[in-house]
Amino acid sequence: MLNKLNIRRRTELPLKEDKANFFLEISTAISVFLFSMALVAYFMTSAVISSWRESIIDGLTVQILPPSEQILPDEETLRIGKVIHFFEGLSGVEKVAVVKEKQIKKLMTPWLGANADLEALPLPKLLNVRLSDGKTFDFEKAGDDLKEIAPYASIDNHGIWLKKLIKSATSLKSLSLFVLILVLSVAVFSILYAVGTSLKVHQNIIEILHIMGATDNYVAKQYALRGFFVGFFSSLAGTLMAFLALRIVSHLSSGLETGLIGAVSLGFEHWTVLALIPLFSAVLSMVTSFFCVKHTLKEMM
Amino acid sequence: MEAHKNILTEPIIDMQNVSIRYGKDPEVLSDIKLSLEKGSFHFLTGKSGAGKTSLLSMMYLALKPSRGTLNVFGANVGYARREDMAMMRRKIGVVFQDFRLLEHLSAYDNVAVPLRVRGMGENEIRKRVKELLSWVELDKSMDKICSTLSGGEKQRVAIARAVINRPEILLADEPTGNVDDDIAFKLMKLFVELNKLGTTVVIATHSTDLIARYNYPQIHLENKGLKIIPALRRVKNAE
Ligand SMILES: Nc1ncnc2c1ncn2[C@@H]1O[C@H](COP(=O)(O)OP(=O)(O)OP(=O)(O)O)[C@@H](O)[C@H]1O
Ligand SMILES: [Mg+2]
Repeated sequence: MLNKLNIRRRTELPLKEDKANFFLEISTAISVFLFSMALVAYFMTSAVISSWRESIIDGLTVQILPPSEQILPDEETLRIGKVIHFFEGLSGVEKVAVVKEKQIKKLMTPWLGANADLEALPLPKLLNVRLSDGKTFDFEKAGDDLKEIAPYASIDNHGIWLKKLIKSATSLKSLSLFVLILVLSVAVFSILYAVGTSLKVHQNIIEILHIMGATDNYVAKQYALRGFFVGFFSSLAGTLMAFLALRIVSHLSSGLETGLIGAVSLGFEHWTVLALIPLFSAVLSMVTSFFCVKHTLKEMM
Repeated sequence: MEAHKNILTEPIIDMQNVSIRYGKDPEVLSDIKLSLEKGSFHFLTGKSGAGKTSLLSMMYLALKPSRGTLNVFGANVGYARREDMAMMRRKIGVVFQDFRLLEHLSAYDNVAVPLRVRGMGENEIRKRVKELLSWVELDKSMDKICSTLSGGEKQRVAIARAVINRPEILLADEPTGNVDDDIAFKLMKLFVELNKLGTTVVIATHSTDLIARYNYPQIHLENKGLKIIPALRRVKNAE
């Protein structure tokens, strides 16, 4: 019976009873929650941006409005040929193809209904322009130049506004990165503060341990161990809160057709990273505590 | 600590022109010169407030001299690295005047501290601690939390903690102040035995009874200074 009691001994530093513990546990859980949410925001914006980038690479569409009055087929071919020729002359263009009338009709049905008399409507002609690199292609300049040569044709400005969207999404991404760093520093400062307070509270015990021949490492290890467990379990709580919040958000938004954004979701690797946060947090807390103790003891006594 | 090669000739504790002061207060001790031979036994005497505890704290490396040089185990404490200090402290056993036990721990765990800080295995620790605690007649109170122990029990725990490591230097501050006479003499016998095994012992005490009975030389503190009062009889008369 004695042996059992002795094995489950209490540590020399009663860190479990520290007053700062509750503060640290709560602040760690909240930090981890915020960190997870910011990380999700970061993942989402990154995914959205790269999916938008890819759709730019695809190419662009050119719309050629029908002439306002009847013209000869030859003239019609000339009008279209001028535009095709213009694009073929641009660098970065791989291929220009006329979209078949049948396909245009198919594209129109959702708007006009299957029974609409399409023959009676003056349909625009569409060109598909495939680009070798959509990221470097200057949509705006091509649009302006086209307007001069053929005012009746226009670039579907898909690429232009996607580029603008990407720009704002990129600033959103930077913002979430900033929040990540901010939350991380707050968490580290909380640990430093809690450990610093605890060291002052236990100064007497630490002095006794030192006189008994304990090294700074011996003391620091007790803090590191405590830091690991507080870090892990508080973070686990924060991560669970974050998962719950994400579920609620995705449930609420599942009814909405959010178009471009709705198309992106977190992948397996993202969920793995989120799930690993408690471990990361525990290690961070452990290392921070350890070095904080080492540093403070050197200054203190 | 290359001075270890001269261990037989060099004093184990050596103070040259050492002074102690707390903050801006006047000096408590001034220009102390003291050399303790390895294996010596001294009482430390002086009126209350004369600086006995202060002098001992310097010897157990908790207090740095405000002036002068202090060598312990042949190493200048002023230049020692933190790690080296820890290694030196492991060879010094201390009984504090106010015990300074870890009140939230059991008697057993308190005595185990010096062994745990040096990373000894729990099996070996258990064997040693149990043996010593039953020797100081505390086997029944082994698992009691220290804050619940009586003054005399605490004192015995403090002494057990100081000697568990078989220290090279034993510094005890009023170690027999709170125990009954028969236990006091039993504890003194422990110190004498340790001394016979080579431990250098310094015991601060007010007890003229103890001093008379054992008659070791005294380090006497008076007027911020120090003088050695030699032993009148041989040590072996103590038994
Ligand atoms: N930490 C401290 N801060 C300020 N002054 C101190 C401190 N420790 C001791 N002193 C002062 O140093 C002087 C010597 O104290 P010390 O405790 O060394 O005496 P002592 O000989 O051990 O006395 P006693 O026999 O009562 O234990 C006293 O005047 C005391 O007030
Ligand atoms: Mg004293």
